[in-house]
Order: sequence, then C-alpha cells, then structure tokens
Amino acid sequence: MSGKQDRLTGYDPVRFRRKIQVIIWLVSLAFFFLIARLWYLQVVRGDDLRKRSENNRVRIQEIKPLRGLIMDTHGNILVDNQSSFDIFIIPEAAKDTEVVMNKLTNLCDLGEDAISREKTSFKSGRPFVPVRIYKNIDRDKLAVVETNSLDLPGVVVDVVPVREYIYGEVMAHILGYVGNISSSELGRDVYSGYRSNDIVGKYGIEKYLDRYLKGKSGGEQVEVDVAGRRLNVLGGLKPVSGYNVTLNIDAALQKICQDAFQEKAGTATVMDPRTGSVMAMVSRPSFDPNLFNRGISGGKWKKLTTDPLCPLQNRAVSGQYPPGSTYKMIVAAAALEEGLITENTEIFCNGTYQMGDRTFRCWKKRGHGMANLHRAIVESCDVYFYHLGEMLGVDKLAEYAGKFGFGYKAGISLPGEKKGLIPTKEWKLRRYGKPWQKGETTSLSIGQGFTLVTPLQLLRAYCAIANGGVLYKPRLIKRIETTDGQIVEEFPPEKERIVPVSKKNIDILRHALWGVVNEPHGTGWALKRKERDVCGKTGTAQVISMSEDTDDDVDDVQYKFRDHALFVCFAPYKDPAIAIMVIVEHGGHGGSVAAPIARRIVDGYFNLERKREKM
Amino acid sequence: MKIDRRLLTHFDWILLGLVLSISGIGILNLYSSGYNLCSGGDLLYVKQMSWVLLGLIIMVIAFSVDYHILIRHAYLIYAFSVLLLLLVFFYGNLTHGSQRWLIIWGFSFQPSELMKLVIVIVLARYFNDNMEKGYRFGNLLALLTILGIPFLLIVRQPDLGTAMFLVILVFCMVVFVGIGRKFLVCFISGSMILTPLCWFLIKDYQRERILTFLNPERDPLGTGYHIIQSIIAIGSGGIWGKGILKGTQTQLRFLPEQQTDFAFSVFAEEWGFLGVSVLMFIFFALILWGLKIVQNSRDYPGALMAFGVTMFVFWGILINIGMVIGVVPVVGIPLPFFSYGGSSMIVLMAGAGLLMNVSMRRFILQP
Repeated sequence: MSGKQDRLTGYDPVRFRRKIQVIIWLVSLAFFFLIARLWYLQVVRGDDLRKRSENNRVRIQEIKPLRGLIMDTHGNILVDNQSSFDIFIIPEAAKDTEVVMNKLTNLCDLGEDAISREKTSFKSGRPFVPVRIYKNIDRDKLAVVETNSLDLPGVVVDVVPVREYIYGEVMAHILGYVGNISSSELGRDVYSGYRSNDIVGKYGIEKYLDRYLKGKSGGEQVEVDVAGRRLNVLGGLKPVSGYNVTLNIDAALQKICQDAFQEKAGTATVMDPRTGSVMAMVSRPSFDPNLFNRGISGGKWKKLTTDPLCPLQNRAVSGQYPPGSTYKMIVAAAALEEGLITENTEIFCNGTYQMGDRTFRCWKKRGHGMANLHRAIVESCDVYFYHLGEMLGVDKLAEYAGKFGFGYKAGISLPGEKKGLIPTKEWKLRRYGKPWQKGETTSLSIGQGFTLVTPLQLLRAYCAIANGGVLYKPRLIKRIETTDGQIVEEFPPEKERIVPVSKKNIDILRHALWGVVNEPHGTGWALKRKERDVCGKTGTAQVISMSEDTDDDVDDVQYKFRDHALFVCFAPYKDPAIAIMVIVEHGGHGGSVAAPIARRIVDGYFNLERKREKM
Repeated sequence: MKIDRRLLTHFDWILLGLVLSISGIGILNLYSSGYNLCSGGDLLYVKQMSWVLLGLIIMVIAFSVDYHILIRHAYLIYAFSVLLLLLVFFYGNLTHGSQRWLIIWGFSFQPSELMKLVIVIVLARYFNDNMEKGYRFGNLLALLTILGIPFLLIVRQPDLGTAMFLVILVFCMVVFVGIGRKFLVCFISGSMILTPLCWFLIKDYQRERILTFLNPERDPLGTGYHIIQSIIAIGSGGIWGKGILKGTQTQLRFLPEQQTDFAFSVFAEEWGFLGVSVLMFIFFALILWGLKIVQNSRDYPGALMAFGVTMFVFWGILINIGMVIGVVPVVGIPLPFFSYGGSSMIVLMAGAGLLMNVSMRRFILQP
C-alpha cells in the first residue's frame, strides 16, 4: 500500500471513542422507541387489534364523483349524469362464485349483453374487492335481486353514475364518450394519478378535458358483515364533482346542421367569424355515444371500427381533403398582395392550359373567354388560376397558405386533429427525393395535387377573409366552472395573426365571393336568398385525376372515386356573423350538392336568430 | 496479492452470522407471505434466496479487496454510479409512474440503491483527504455537489425516499467527522434550500403522500388505509403471533406491498411480539457490532467507511419499521437484509462485506 491518501497521522481513536459512545446511546434510544411502540401495538392493544383483524370487515368503498356537465353556449345541458344500478360480487363473501352466479341467472334473466367482461378477475383479484358482474339492470330485476339477497351471499347492488348524452349521435364527435381506463392508458404519464377502476374520457371533449370533468373520488371506510353488506361507516371523504364545461356550440344550430346533412357522409362546421367560436360541428356518419356508457358489446364495437365510412372519425378536424376551388381565394390573395395582378387583370380562357407536355383543362370546356379576377372567382375559372399559380410559384403559394393557417394544426381543443399538407419544393425533395415539377404547381393553384386541408382550417381561413383579415384560434370551449359557478378558466377570443393582405385586397375577394352567390353565372347560385346577403365559394375536389376525355357524370363513377363536394360561405355580407364549411364526401359538384346543405344551415340560422329575438 | 494469514484469523464470523440470520428470517417470511403468489412463474422466496447467494459472492469480493484500494478509487466508483443514474434517467424502465430500474442482461437493477453505498465510500475519501486542513466553506460547496448530483437525479426518477436517505447518510457522516458549528448551520440551511426545490420536482402523488403523513385524515383511502391495515396486522400478532402462514391480514391481502416495504408487518403478525423482539435484537446487535468495528478500525478512512455503512443499515431499519408502525411517512425504503429486492440485497451484502473488510484489517499495519 502506498498510503498516499491514507493519512495515519491525525487519526485519534480516543476522540472517536467518545463520539461513538454518544451514538450508541442514540441508537439504543431509537431501538427502545421502536420496541416500545411495538409493545404498545402488540401487547397493550393486541387483543383489540386482533379482534379487528379477525372480522376485518373494514373495506374501502370508493365513491365515484359525478363527472362535470357539458353545456352549450345557451346553457342547455348536453351531457348529464344518470344512475345505473350495477351488481357486484365479493368473491370472499360468496365463497363459491359459480354457484351464486347461477342462482342469480336463474332468478332473473339479465341477458348476456349485460354481463361485464370483468368476470375474469374473480381469480386474479383480491378476494374482498367487489367485482362488477352486471351493469345497468332495470328496476324490476333490481327488486328481485334485493328480495332474494339472503340467498345470494356476496352479491351487492350499487348505484353508479353513468353519462347520458342527451343529443345522442348529433354531438357524438364533439363530446366524445367515456369508458373504463385501460391498462395501457394507466401506464402513460398523462394518466398518472388515475386508478385502475376510473372512468376516463376516450374521445372528444370528454377526453380533452378529462382532468377537469373527472372530479375527485371520495370513499368510505365501512364495516361490512360476512356477506359483504355494509353495517357501519367509520369515516370517509366526500367526492368532489368534476367541473362543468360550457361550449360555444349552439345545440339548436347543431341539430339544424345534422338535419341538413341527411344521410350523406361528410362534415359541416359553423364558426363565428368575429370570434372564432365554433358554433356547430357535425361529422357524418355518426354514432351514439350512449352505447359506450354501459359497456358496448363486442359486435357493435367491431361494426363501428370496421365500417368503411369510419363513423368514429371527426371529419371536421381529422379529415384531410384537397380543397379544390375553395383554395383559389388563397391563390388570388397571394397574387394580389404580391402585385402580380390587379383586380382588372384579364386573362383569356379557351378551356385549356398548356404546361410543358401536359394539358390542363378548365371545368368549362368551352372556356370563359376574357375574364378579370372577379369573374374568374365568380365563375370559378380554372385557367385564370393556372396562370396565377405559374406566376407565384409553389413556395410563395405555400407561404401565403401558411399565413392563412394551412399546413399546421389549427389548435382546436379536441383530440386527433390533423395538420393537412402544404407542399413546398423542399418538402417534395425530402419526401420523394425528386425535384418539383412545374405542372404540379398548376394543380396546386386550383387546390388539387398534394394539397390537403382539414375542413376546420379552410373554415378558419374564410373567416379571416370574412372579418377583414383576422385569423382566430378555433374556440370550442367557452368556460370551465365549478359546480357552484366559480369560474376556473375562461377562453376569450384569441387572435392568432392578422393575415398579410391589405384591406383593399380583402374587399376585392369579399366582393367576388358575394358575386359567386348573387351574380348571374355564379357557381354558388343555390345560396341566393331574397336578402342577397350570402357570400361563398364552391369547390369540387378530385379524389383521383380522371382521364381527360371522360365525361365525369357522377352516377357512372364508382363511389370511392367520385369527387368531394365543398362549399364555404359566410353571411351577412356587410358584417358576417356566421361562416359555414360543408364537405360532402364523394358527393360530386360543390355547387349542386354541398351548397344546398349550406343553404339549409344559413336559413336555419337566420330563422333561429329571428325566433330568439322575438323571445 | 499475497494473502495474509491474519486476514483469515480475524475474519468476522459474528457479522456474517448476524447478516445471514436476518436474511434467513426474511426468506422464511417471504415464503409465508407469498406462498400463494408467483411472479413470472418464480416463487419470490426462491428468487430472494438467489439474491442472497449472489449477495454473498459480492460480499466475498467486497472484503477481499483491501478497502484502501476502494478509497483510492472512490471518485471513479462515484462517477460510475452517477453514470448509471444518468442511464436510468434516459433509458430507465418505467413502473408505477417512476423511472428507477435499469435492465442489464435481463436483470433489473436499481442504481439508486448502489448510490447509497457509494456515497459512503466517496465521503470517506473526501473527509480523509481534507481532515488536516479543517473544514471550511469551500468544503461545504464540494459536499453539496457530491450529494447534489445523485440527489437531483434520484428525486427526478422520482424517488423521494431514497433521495432523502442520501441526505441523512451525508448528514450523519458530517456530524461524525465533527465539523464546526458554523459549517453545520450552513449544511442544514443548504439542505433547507434544497428541500422546497424538491417540492417542485416530485410528482403529485408524492406531494400527496407528504401531505397525508402530516395529516392522515387527508387520505383515509390510499396511504392512510395502508398504514391502518399495517397497524392492524402488527397489533393483531399479539405476544405470541398467529403462526406461520396464519396471518389473516397477510393472507387476505389487506396488506399492501407485503414483500417489500411492509414485509415487517407480515412478520409481526405471524410471529408476534416475541418474534419481533428476537428480530429487533439481531438488528440491534448488528448495529452495535458495526459501531464496534468503527471504534476498532485501524485508520481514519476505515472508520469513516464502517461508520457510513453502519448508518446505512441503521437508518434503513429505523425508517422502514417506523413507517409500518405509522411514525414515519410511507417512503419506499426496504428493511435491510429482510425485504424482498435484488438491488438492495446485493448492495447491503456488499456493505456488510466492506464492514468485514475494515474489521479484518484492523491489526494489519500499513507498510
């Protein structure tokens, strides 16, 4: 040993001996204390605690809190809580669970559907923890079970709150649904603090605001008898109800949207252009969230998840579509603002446009002749915009699209939002390893090609045009408050940015949108009301590029290859109070399919307003 | 290395006997508490036996290598352990919402357990290096750094119990080397600054636990319930105990975490005050024996190291038993040599090895 670090000098065992003496005293004291406490527990209180352990019937019974209510902007309740009578078995008290189960099924036919899957936990679970076996039995059967309770050891009935979605499938995508927390969810960080029996939001607002809606479980320490019936409450904690949530959704308008849609697949979303509030959001086909409350059966669940029309998807935020001609407004805004054209610039349309060796067609085969910007928008001339696209180039176009809120999530408070796709040269090189082709810009300029947008993004961009240039954050939630009305959080309108388009240019666009609906040859004629106050834009988005000579008659084309029909509009022209986005999937032409739906919504909205004013 | 015959003659059989009897009782207790419980097909007490055997091998290594060599490489060992903690931070395995485990060749290992022993070795080195110069403000900074790095990494896992355990160990050693009053005040105030910092680093459930300890009425359903069930289990054992495999609290699984944190409650229920007294006596003897080794150690670093290890065991006992009888908050500190757990068993065996190391070499003079 070199002993370089070991300093033998200065080590004085005697000095330490005294210190160690003190430490020995302290250690002895600690041990004495532990032993004394053990003596107290085991000898002094031994008999008493032994008795308690022998009939250790002290159980924890969790009291589930009531989940917060969800209301619409006018205070109408959208989601309420109902009582469900559930049957539980305590394996330890039942002794033989099979026998008791058989007795139970003989007494009353509870139906296979009601049997919960938790039956498997008889073996693995703790013997004194109740296992739920039937959910939501009706009152007659409840009476049978209660009167025979002496023959059914270990069987207990408990009242459990369940969600009641008053509007059923009308609000399914916004509100979402709840279910038991899954083991994979429990493992995630977001769900730290949750317990294995908790009900959590699985979708929609229920999921997004779960932390607020959930409330806090209470519980009781109760003494129960041998059969598991409660005798005595030893103490407990009251549950705290979840917070109530008010949405900006107008339930009546939502209903109007739903009815306007009938059986078609697609989405209609309504926004207030002055604030960004989402007033209605319908996605079709839909589903009934009440199915999930009482445990959905395997077959029904499978049907929902394998349906090719994806009823569980909220198309307004998760659907990504080519915007078609509705995108022309962004192209026009960019071209005006970059000074490439003025409102008077005229371009000749003969029905075709040549780019390299490709020929692009205008939807109107004969062409529009000489047209200025206003007419090009009103009649939705494609050739005009092919030229604008060529002038702008893909990256300039992408820059403006970004300013209008495309290509990234709009930030609505719902899970599963998509961000769409705004292609750039760099993106294509990265994604496909190939350089950008000029002809691809041509497709982009009429909202085809790689471009994908969500209906919500499109609606938001049109709101910015409608209100003179403010891009608002979409606002679904109005406020969150406690059950006694104290405000927890409020969500005032939030301006994301002012789009970089001058007032003058926005007015040119607004006027053109008015013309689309109200001028002769306008593609949005279906919205022409006697007040002549609606502005809008049609769009027909190709799902696949058709060969150039086919006459795309809707009925001849297979459903999944048919065009999507789009319509975006706002009204009234002077001071827009409502903006509507309608997409009918594989519907055909925007003007003839989507516009009538928008029309019904606009009419419905103004009727509603009139009625409300009278009252 | 030449094996000195005196090493064999001075081998500490008593220490070995004490450690083995505690582990033996622990295994028996596991057999009783978990006889109907399998984890991954293996019976827990069988697994624990293999941990004890592995621990004994580590122990042999720990007493064979002269402790001066360990002291010399203390900083290297420390750096290695910090590295392991960093690995946990980035690649650790998540269980129950905390990241404590590292999986090496199929074994899961808790580097924070290892850190408890390493901090003792590194402090022994540090105090030994600095003892002549006396302790000044600069030392405080160094100490806080040595403690702070693993402390923050462990708090972040989050494992507040183990992190506080490190603070206690460092504190004990600081008091032992006899640092000036001014220094002590600084150390305590330094720790007091660190403590509120923890409050922001720990997770909600831990905050809840501390609040629950301060006011048990807060949570009669979670932690409070565990304590109540533990007290019922211990008390119901009475003087004579219910006998092995007969503890109703245990068998009906009223007791939480019966293999690890609440293993002592199982023992107390089945063996009563009599069994508990025997076990406590062995623990007491172990600590006293450790302190005797400290007293007889031949040099300063040996004494420091032996003292640190002894305190490691002592605080483990005090906190764990204090916890199950409801006088200390529920933190995940296992009962030394007794609770189920590979990492803690191996580290403690290594610690016992270090004690033997110091004990065996007490008569060997340095050249």
